[in-house]
Amino acid sequence: MAAFTVIDHTELGAAASEWDVTSIPSSYDHLLVKVSARQDGAYDYVNVYITLNGDTGNNYSHTTIRADSATVETNQNASRGDIHYCMTPAASATADTFGAMTIWIPHYANTANFKQMIASSAAENASTTDSEWWLNQTAGLWSDTSAVDQITIDAYSTDDFVQYSTFTLYGVTGA
Amino acid sequence: MAIIEAIATTYLEADASSVTFSSLGSYEHLQIRMSARNTFPYRAGTGALTFNGTTGTAYSTHGMAATSTTNSANPYTGQANTKIPRLTTGDGISGTTGGVDSADFGTAIIDILDYRNASKNTTVLSMGGNSLTTSTPYIWFASGLFDDVTVITSITLDSNGSWMRGSEFTLYGLASS
Repeated sequence: MAAFTVIDHTELGAAASEWDVTSIPSSYDHLLVKVSARQDGAYDYVNVYITLNGDTGNNYSHTTIRADSATVETNQNASRGDIHYCMTPAASATADTFGAMTIWIPHYANTANFKQMIASSAAENASTTDSEWWLNQTAGLWSDTSAVDQITIDAYSTDDFVQYSTFTLYGVTGA
Repeated sequence: MAIIEAIATTYLEADASSVTFSSLGSYEHLQIRMSARNTFPYRAGTGALTFNGTTGTAYSTHGMAATSTTNSANPYTGQANTKIPRLTTGDGISGTTGGVDSADFGTAIIDILDYRNASKNTTVLSMGGNSLTTSTPYIWFASGLFDDVTVITSITLDSNGSWMRGSEFTLYGLASS
């Protein structure tokens, strides 16, 4: 039976540019991150940037299926310094609305394989206008065999995550 | 206390128009896992989620869907509920009851984040689908917004028509400490 352990839970008491967890133990089978966040830039929605083990070299790629209008689109980016295309609402979205995001990193401590993640996110907004809301499913790859011991989620550019944004990291065993 | 716990499970011994969870506990996040079918006479039945018994116009939904050959995305605002469309198997084809294997039940997982935070509207992520034995499948990914910062104390899953006997809904709580 699966068992979950809370490795970190952070609720921002004030705006912050990133959430960063270090020294993640290698003793779990999988990692799960749940994010409820909003940024303060003047947009309806905006990217977050996910990096592992502090690596910002061009070692990431991601493939995304997404929608912000009636058209479902896909794209793929390789040799990037982060995984993105996961969005949160920002200052132009409906007040008090925080995006929902779930990130799974299976077998994060396996040192034989590159690390893959699957991320789901939604930047909700009470709007039917194109480009004012966002949904995505993203498959991310970190081309490194190291065990993951650090996860960083940065806000866009010089923006911040706003107060009350929450980030919860779970270690999952037996699943 | 375990970090993830099953708060309640509802297994329908008879058709029911809705299922309500009203004891949500004190967790950080909630998750509903459901296997359901409804009496809507089409392949995919549209469910709906309301919080705290509130209807009105406070809900939005954004979803993207795919069948075997096509995809689409749709936004809805000013709604009386947030949709969990096409997550569940209906009980007919093109408006006529029948034609769907009686053992086909659609499946969905619905995440409800930070539901006790009175400084946030409540937002939802839904993933689900129905890969039917004899007809067109759907897969759906959607988000929902309840534009209200009130702490969530009850969750109701409404159906198109009725949820059918054999449908099952489990509510989980995920703690943060």
